[in-house]
Amino acid sequence: MADRAEFLQKVRHRTQRGRYKPTNAPDVAWTPKDEPRHSPQVEDPPARFLEELEALGGHGVRVASVDEARDHVLSVVRERGANLLVRWDVEELEALGVDEPLGRAGVGVAVWRDLEDFREVAGKADVGLSTAAWAVAETGTLVLEGGPGMGRSVTLLPPTYVAVVRVDQILRTVPEAIEKYSGGPLPANVCFHTGPSRSGDIEMSLFVGMHGPGDVHVILVG
Amino acid sequence: METKKPANRRETEDRRPEGLTSPVEGFNDRARRAVRDEELHDSVELFTNKSVAGRNAVLNALPEAPELRERAYRIKQETMANLDRHLGQMADAVEGRGGNVFFAETGEDVVRYIGDLARRRGAKVITKSKSMATEEIELNRRLEEDYADLDLEIVETDLGEWIAQLAGDTPSHIVGPILHMNRRRITEVLSETAGERLPPDVEALGSFARRRLREKFLAADIGITGANFGVAQTGTIATVTNEGNGRLVTSVPPVHVVVMGIEKLVPRFEDLSVFVRLLARSGTGQKLTVYTNFVTGPRAPGELDGAEEFHLILMDNGRSELLGTPFEEALYCIRCGACLNVCPVYRQTGGHAYGSTYSGPIGAVITPLLKGGKEAKDLPHASSLCGACWEACPVGIPLHDLLLKLRNKQVQEGITGRAQGLAFKGFENTMKNPALYRISGKAGRLAQRPLAKAGAPKTLPGPLGAWTNSRDLPKLAPKPFSQLWKEGI
Repeated sequence: MADRAEFLQKVRHRTQRGRYKPTNAPDVAWTPKDEPRHSPQVEDPPARFLEELEALGGHGVRVASVDEARDHVLSVVRERGANLLVRWDVEELEALGVDEPLGRAGVGVAVWRDLEDFREVAGKADVGLSTAAWAVAETGTLVLEGGPGMGRSVTLLPPTYVAVVRVDQILRTVPEAIEKYSGGPLPANVCFHTGPSRSGDIEMSLFVGMHGPGDVHVILVG
Repeated sequence: METKKPANRRETEDRRPEGLTSPVEGFNDRARRAVRDEELHDSVELFTNKSVAGRNAVLNALPEAPELRERAYRIKQETMANLDRHLGQMADAVEGRGGNVFFAETGEDVVRYIGDLARRRGAKVITKSKSMATEEIELNRRLEEDYADLDLEIVETDLGEWIAQLAGDTPSHIVGPILHMNRRRITEVLSETAGERLPPDVEALGSFARRRLREKFLAADIGITGANFGVAQTGTIATVTNEGNGRLVTSVPPVHVVVMGIEKLVPRFEDLSVFVRLLARSGTGQKLTVYTNFVTGPRAPGELDGAEEFHLILMDNGRSELLGTPFEEALYCIRCGACLNVCPVYRQTGGHAYGSTYSGPIGAVITPLLKGGKEAKDLPHASSLCGACWEACPVGIPLHDLLLKLRNKQVQEGITGRAQGLAFKGFENTMKNPALYRISGKAGRLAQRPLAKAGAPKTLPGPLGAWTNSRDLPKLAPKPFSQLWKEGI
């Protein structure tokens, strides 16, 4: 048992043993060194995003307006035969206006606020609906921030997950997305969510929807 | 190599063999058994071939990969050189966000901290996301034994790790814990757990696991994860999983405990942009892991989920001994498993032959270093020194160099017998002296006649046998090169 001061003192003492210079790991084993190279520019971010997401087994669509986005959400819920949808409590999803038509169709809507026990709701829901902070074109990734009204479980527990993202939220590359959180204080949770949940532990055979949603839909608006 | 699960025991009771503290039975004996196991061989081959092919494809699509690799190496170098400062910074950042930090010298300290925490919380169910650091200290077994009165149910939630746990088995690969089990064996294990005969297809087995583990996720009082990276500047813990279990374990239970080896730090958040790209590509051939999750402290006010209590355990367990030594680079490892997949030794023996939490080239390096050389004296020799591991390593750790240095250390510490030292001395003298070299070549050709019955001689007699126990002896050519040269080839 060491307290912090002792523990760190020991570490400091060891790093100061000095005299030793670690070898430089040369790169010849990978490629000959010449000019630093970079991945080609992402030409059309929304198109690339949809392509990457589809390649991972997700479903993406680009629509022109919020009305079309609403219709698309409703059709996914209908096709899945869902009884309960849980959604983030955010401005943009209020404006999307799915609650009322869903209610008319006999589908329950739970909004992520004042919940007695969130496990009950998120664990029972058939569909989770959220927005995203960013999307990343080169990998088909959604960047999800947690926060009041923005439950992590909404995007995790229901077997079907739908995200609505504006086209102007699409970044080209992973480093650009990481950059957004560099230096500033971070939300308690940020998740780079890339495609459906999956496992290959049984003989390398793909099992989709292991613990998180296996059915992932992203609607790009704009 | 399988341990049979005793009947009538609780589903998750952990009776798995030892992590890093047990003596490593001779690698050679285990390896010899493993090489004869054809089923194992097929399983290992399937996994490693697929992984290597995937890795090559996505790395080739990333032209900046060599630069990233070099940057990764430099970042780790910088981290280790100032590790005390970064650890202090990490602790301050976590505490600044309302989290708790504990400095653990040993595995024992980790067990005690978590056990006491479980007692205070009145915890019953603990869910875990796959963590090699907790495997290393046998956290599950020790919690169950040392805190038996709490009657904890500790559940691994990574599919492979859970199946290993149910089978009373240990992971045999850093990334693919049960690659050594085929579908038939997995079906047996899961059927026993289900109490009914499950069909041997991936869809049925996976669905059963999803249902059963879902109950555990929702019932958990404490979630335990390792850390793929810790960001000193922000106090952020990064975990990557494809299944989503890492995100569930940190989002649903009211308490989140992170067990992190002190070498897992990176200084700044932007450093992650180098590492997350390399880790996913090297480990599984993906551009990005499905859930690359960043947790910074407990949930914020107004959040409904996420842990309300956050604990970071910074674990040393022998790591700091390597700082500033010729073995420091072993601490740069990001546990992607690429070196295992390309290693000609690992590909023949699988992971269990190494008799430790960490297998393959990186295991052959860090097990002796963390355990002490005597217990693991075979491991530095479990390598052909071909360098494939170093070529594959996304951080550029010169693993083959480290293995040689370890062998050297063994001779210096007298762990290797005197005979080997003498033999190499003799070899050196022979190679330096042409006359002596010619004579020994002749002697060798004469001596091998009785041995070389069919093709290459297999083993040497008497005390020399130790050398050929794990090596084939090449046959000496009938005519030495010097003679061929004289004859004008």
